[in-house]
Amino acid sequence: MQTPPEDRKWTSASGIPLKSFYLPDDVPEGHRRVLGAAPGEPPFHRGAYATGYRTKPWRIFQLSGFGKPEDENERIKFLLEQGETGFLMEHDRNTADHLYNVDHPEVLARREDVGLTGAVMQSVRDIDICLRDLPIDSTYGHAGGAVVQHAPYALAGYWTVARRRGYDLSRLPGTGQSDYFLTYLGCVTKQQVPTDAGLRLNADIIEFCDQYLPRWVPVSIAGYNGADSGLNAPQELGALFANAVEYLEEIKRRGTMPLAKAARGCGGVSFRMSMDVFEEASKLRAARLMWTQLLAERYDITDPKVSNLRIHCVTAGSRMQYQQPFNNIVRGTLMGLAAALGGVQSLGVSGYDEALSIPSEHAHQMSVRIQQILQEETNIASVTDPLGGSYYIETLTAQLIERAWAFFDEIQAQGGFLACLDSGWLHQQAAENQHQEFMAQADGSQRIIGVTDHTDDVSPFEVDGFMGVDDAFDVALERLEAVRRERHEKGAADAMRALEQACRGDANIMGPMMDALEAEVTLGEIGDIYRQVWGDWSTPIQT
Amino acid sequence: MSEPTTNATTGATTSATGKRVLMAKTGLDGHWRGPTIVATALRDAGFEVIMIGMARAEEVVQAAIDEDVDLVGLNVGGHVDVAVRAVEQIQSSCDGVPIFAGGVVPPHAKRKLEALGVEVYPPGSQLPEIVEAARRLTGII
Amino acid sequence: MSSDAVVLSALLAAALDGDRQALARLISAAERGATLPPLTPPTDRAEHQLCIGFTGAPGAGKSTLVSALTGHLIAEAGAAAVLAVDPSSPFSRGALLGDRVRMHEHAMDPRVFIRSMATRSETGGLARATQVARRILQACGWGLVLLETVGVGQVELDVVYTADLVVVVLNPGWGDEIQANKAGLMEIADIFVINKADREGLESTRRDIDAVIINRPEHQRPAVVETVASEGKGVKELAKAISLARESLCASGELHRRRQRQFATELEQELLRRFKVSMTQLRQEESYGELVEALASGADTLDGAASRLQKIVLGKIALR
Ligand SMILES: Nc1nc2c(ncn2[C@@H]2O[C@H](COP(=O)(O)OP(=O)(O)O)[C@@H](O)[C@H]2O)c(=O)[nH]1
Ligand SMILES: [Mg+2]
Repeated sequence: MQTPPEDRKWTSASGIPLKSFYLPDDVPEGHRRVLGAAPGEPPFHRGAYATGYRTKPWRIFQLSGFGKPEDENERIKFLLEQGETGFLMEHDRNTADHLYNVDHPEVLARREDVGLTGAVMQSVRDIDICLRDLPIDSTYGHAGGAVVQHAPYALAGYWTVARRRGYDLSRLPGTGQSDYFLTYLGCVTKQQVPTDAGLRLNADIIEFCDQYLPRWVPVSIAGYNGADSGLNAPQELGALFANAVEYLEEIKRRGTMPLAKAARGCGGVSFRMSMDVFEEASKLRAARLMWTQLLAERYDITDPKVSNLRIHCVTAGSRMQYQQPFNNIVRGTLMGLAAALGGVQSLGVSGYDEALSIPSEHAHQMSVRIQQILQEETNIASVTDPLGGSYYIETLTAQLIERAWAFFDEIQAQGGFLACLDSGWLHQQAAENQHQEFMAQADGSQRIIGVTDHTDDVSPFEVDGFMGVDDAFDVALERLEAVRRERHEKGAADAMRALEQACRGDANIMGPMMDALEAEVTLGEIGDIYRQVWGDWSTPIQT
Repeated sequence: MSEPTTNATTGATTSATGKRVLMAKTGLDGHWRGPTIVATALRDAGFEVIMIGMARAEEVVQAAIDEDVDLVGLNVGGHVDVAVRAVEQIQSSCDGVPIFAGGVVPPHAKRKLEALGVEVYPPGSQLPEIVEAARRLTGII
Repeated sequence: MSSDAVVLSALLAAALDGDRQALARLISAAERGATLPPLTPPTDRAEHQLCIGFTGAPGAGKSTLVSALTGHLIAEAGAAAVLAVDPSSPFSRGALLGDRVRMHEHAMDPRVFIRSMATRSETGGLARATQVARRILQACGWGLVLLETVGVGQVELDVVYTADLVVVVLNPGWGDEIQANKAGLMEIADIFVINKADREGLESTRRDIDAVIINRPEHQRPAVVETVASEGKGVKELAKAISLARESLCASGELHRRRQRQFATELEQELLRRFKVSMTQLRQEESYGELVEALASGADTLDGAASRLQKIVLGKIALR
């Protein structure tokens, strides 16, 4: 079923009505003022840096990890050999997201899943194995800890390994994540600290980095996870900045550090890149401008070093289709192109087998190759903001900004970002969009090649899911027992007590967390402390 | 909307009204995207959808019994053996309750589940197709 | 006995014997309107034979509270059943029932039986189905029944006719709702719970409730309990308040009166249901068309046509 062109509603993916071409007068009045700004100048919509990719090619940054820590270590080395220029650790999500050890009943019931979505890292020993021979003093690393309650553990583990290797923490490069969108909207876990406890953890991390790890990006808000759960482009923007406001307000309330430094700490974010190439590229331009506006208007921060937003992008996992998976290489390329055109500091392209499993080695290699081809063969690296000045792109950028602020205001009117997560309002917005999208696929107004149309797959290659390794669970259990047997028990118990006390009071928990990791306190024990102190957040269910 | 005709004891009916579907997620890795959309579509088709979130095999079984459901929908992911264990337990404890599954199901996992009599709807399956399956499996059509 | 009745008797026998599957199926049959064999009703004196209704707006924390309270009550009562009712969509008649997620800690406890129910039909239908489900549970050894209903529209008022004792769940910051005495909620409460007491606005909400209940005679004044259901705080106090309220209702004879009223309501509703079924059948028949025609043409008065219709309907009910 195909809608005839005259009946079709031509809109952007988020529903902005589109004209068949654009003229100078279409660019909204207010936006014309900023057209003359160069990249690297406020309000930064044209790019964070004037020389763009000429001097700073985007970092090729792929999520990777499975199995035992040594399996993940090997995969990271493989990716670095292939030309990846930073690395991301992924902790096994079954254990890490929930802060369970592998002998927790919930994990035991699913032992075969252990190690399928990241390597199992239950103590600093495992993290050490995962980082073996990696140049962490000079390479930008992502320590894992995507889920809020897991971040303090993951970061403290990475930092403890660095410290043991004799590196100066104050010079250590890298990033954390502790993302609210993932934790409370996208991948809601079975057990999770409540949103206000999470805010406290994130603010503690921001403070701690300010004091001891100035080169580390403490948290990274990932609009990606909101968007891949259904939020459209302006909603992703509006919600992301509403999230940033929560962090900044908390730091302001504490008054423990200069707000501008906290803003700098929150200014490394990630967005999703989906298939509407021009809307997605415009979204990144809109994001940079909005951050500049937000900081200037709400917090009176105008230092360009703070107000230039740095952006990581990941191509939409949900756009990678199960059917005819090689088509996904093309999709990855186009979404990667959108990111490159909009201006990014780093990029991850999802594996073509995303809808089937975690990436196989070949899928991972393709994700890297796609980016290398974009960087080396297409010449897009030569000129910064190549879309700038296009009547269409500038109009779309301005329209996204307008709609995004409206969404931001709607969130504020309901008590802010956390309140909208607690009430389920954001979930509802996301679910409505997804529902509409499914309906659009069913009625033929949205077409997906290989899925809704051209479904005959005569590819001679069957792509099956990558299954990782068989022994992740067994080895993890052995190692857990070894840690319990070999560690200095009194030291561990003292560290746990101190950590619990910190959790119950309002001192920064990162110091005691570092001590706990040093004393080989395990992941599950830290989880038990959290659960004791804070209880659970439960998903708002829409009925 | 047509008036359903229902036999009060057996529940035989011509519409989905009163038909109950249990939706559970077998894994701990939590994408809720798929199940929520399917649950909403089933609700809109007249089913009563009981959501229990992430659940172990024995928890799915207990809920399926207490809620007296006509169909169990499993969102699976990760290792297929975890799903297989849930399916086998449901099949041995809830006699005759049909099961359908969706989620990240690579071809080898799909074949394994289908061999157990589970209908599998991998990503990209269209909602009308899934609703149709629920109607068929609960004996409405 | 008809074959349906044979099936139902067999189910009841098995359910009385502790078969959960049979119990579950019996409730399903009741939901569909099946006529059940006689069931042993609860006795007023038995402390753990009680149906406690919980009502309040969506998101107030009813399910979380019911779950926490269940954990507390089973220690003494030995077992507890939960009936969690959510609205059906008026458009599709389908429903999303999510309360079980909140009661996860009891998922594998043999002492807890949780059943999700959709309101299905309009006003009255819910009361009937939940009432029958409650009777089945109590007859089958689940004396303590916690009934959660959503406080939206008419439905939450029905809870009074089903439950022995009503707990209204509010949150801090709901002053306006209280002052507007939303949908009569304030009048049906035997106990008020201010859940989410960890949130701002607790004091003013308490004051608003006090202002509403101050006019009632002291012995009928509802207790007000503050809870943080998600952390289990205040649950012990709520259990205590429930126990006291039950004692006082029992002593004053009010519990007995309420139970009589439950039966009366059930009886009337059954009659109304039969009437409705007959009317639905009748609409297809010629005689109905003739009556309408006579009314339309002026050949008969409303009173006359209605009297004749009444006779036909009653005749039909008698034939069943
Ligand atoms: N802060 C706080 N949140 C609570 C409390 N009780 C419940 N909640 C949360 O409120 C939300 C709705 O709870 P739920 O029990 O489903 O409400 P219901 O719709 O009334 O059944 C959930 O996210 C609960 O975790 C409480 O005492 N304090
Ligand atoms: Mg509820």
